[in-house]
Amino acid sequence: MTFSIKRSIAILQKDYKDVSKNLFVGSSIFMPLVLAALYGRLGVESINEFYMIFNMTFCLVAAYVQCSLIAEEKEKNTLRGLMLSPASTVEILAGKSLLSFIATVLVIAFAAFLIEYKPENILVISIALILSTVFYIGLGTVLGLVTKSVMEASVVILPFMAIFSFGSFLTVFAEKYPILKVAEYMPNSQLIILASEVQIGASLADIWFNLLVILAWVAVIYILVVIVYRKRMMD
Amino acid sequence: MENIIEVSGLAKLFANQSALKDVSFQVKKGETFGFLGPSGSGKTTTIKILTAQLAQTDGTALVFGVPASKLKEAGYRKKIGVLTDNSGLYARLTVHDNLKLYCDLYDVPHTRIDEVLDMVNLKDAKKKAISKLSKGMLQRITLARAFLHKPELLFLDEPTSALDPVNSKHIYKGLESLKEQGTTIFLTTHDMNEAEILCDRVAFLNDGVIQLLDTPKALRQKFADHTLTVELADGSKEIIDRGPEGAEAMYNYMKESKVVSIYSNEPTLGDIFVEVTGRKLS
Ligand SMILES: Nc1ncnc2c1ncn2[C@@H]1O[C@H](COP(=O)(O)OP(=O)(O)OP(=O)(O)O)[C@@H](O)[C@H]1O
Ligand SMILES: [Mg+2]
Repeated sequence: MTFSIKRSIAILQKDYKDVSKNLFVGSSIFMPLVLAALYGRLGVESINEFYMIFNMTFCLVAAYVQCSLIAEEKEKNTLRGLMLSPASTVEILAGKSLLSFIATVLVIAFAAFLIEYKPENILVISIALILSTVFYIGLGTVLGLVTKSVMEASVVILPFMAIFSFGSFLTVFAEKYPILKVAEYMPNSQLIILASEVQIGASLADIWFNLLVILAWVAVIYILVVIVYRKRMMD
Repeated sequence: MENIIEVSGLAKLFANQSALKDVSFQVKKGETFGFLGPSGSGKTTTIKILTAQLAQTDGTALVFGVPASKLKEAGYRKKIGVLTDNSGLYARLTVHDNLKLYCDLYDVPHTRIDEVLDMVNLKDAKKKAISKLSKGMLQRITLARAFLHKPELLFLDEPTSALDPVNSKHIYKGLESLKEQGTTIFLTTHDMNEAEILCDRVAFLNDGVIQLLDTPKALRQKFADHTLTVELADGSKEIIDRGPEGAEAMYNYMKESKVVSIYSNEPTLGDIFVEVTGRKLS
């Protein structure tokens, strides 16, 4: 089976128009920007707070938009038409992922501008942010494949929001409760650790391990995507 | 003539209930094949199997000579058009944007959009959002989408169930022109009149098997009771045989100038349907 980028782009264009007319999903894209504007005015300066906005963007834009794009196709019975067309499931998912990716990158870039975040090593931070985006799109894809409606998707995403947006605060209690040390290896925590190191002058050689942990998460989530896809698409 | 669809011994079991028991038929290239049967007899199920949306429990289903389950490749998808009951259109997008997506997916130039909208009599609705359309309009847009890419084989599952007679006629004309271009059409409908107008051959599906399969004309002749009804000047109606026994009666009526009109008592497809399935149409 050949992959057609043209068909993926057609789906991307369709989803872009659709999301821009969808108040519910569309507004979740702007939420991180509202918070970023607020932080910008308050003059927030710590990496932890910057990355709360970034992690929130990952959940609300990368994961949630991806998840609801997939769930809505199933809910409204539009997926059937796509499946009967020459478009393969991989092309459909690629089109959606591309939209979620572009939206995430734009929101992150604009939020960084609003909060005046200036990373010491833009290349390393870019790699880390892009890897993270890819991870969260994978997460959104898994959740989108298992949920049947946008409402369900909005509920299912909540615990993940709690874990990934705010979960990094758990590491604060890790001294007292060693079990919480695990939270340090979450992709969101790793990203914050990495960004903090970079801000005090670390180079790629110093933070390669953090990148590797995030990369491992990417691998795990895409293996999960394949497993769930095989199970779910057998209807 | 070449067979586009070849089905033999097809069976489908849902949980513990059998929808199709033993279905066999062939559809020839270029013909319009009517697949008729009471509600719940398995018409949609058959279409789903033939379009690789569902796997059969038993039997074979060949489309273009290959097992239907293998039709997922883009090359085959481009040769097939499907209209199913639930519309599957993007509600927030306009008619144009919905069709444009499918033009891109099927590699069809965007100029085709106006052509198909014209065929379903909906040129004016191009800029309207799908969510603002009536049920009949939705059905016509879905139909337009089904033949957007000029498929060689078109599956139509109750294409006119939500349409008024004027728009149905318009659709019939469109389907006739597709047929002239060589399109093979597999049609299910509850409208026996429609089947009679459009179909070269019809199959009656009931209790999981095909009970009859022939041209509408042959079926009417087969089920005809070979009588005529003669309406007389005094308003009474006489039923007479078409054979020699009836000839004398007819001769006498005509000699006395009593005949107002004569009807042939050929059954309609609807009559045959009720007789064969023993059930009313729903
Ligand atoms: N996914 C499914 N799971 C279980 N049973 C099903 C499923 N789809 C269809 N059936 C059953 O199979 C039978 C045939 O259904 P089908 O939809 O093919 O009928 P149909 O001839 O298209 O009816 P209609 O004229 O009302 O559209 C019905 O008894 C239906 O309940
Ligand atoms: Mg049906």
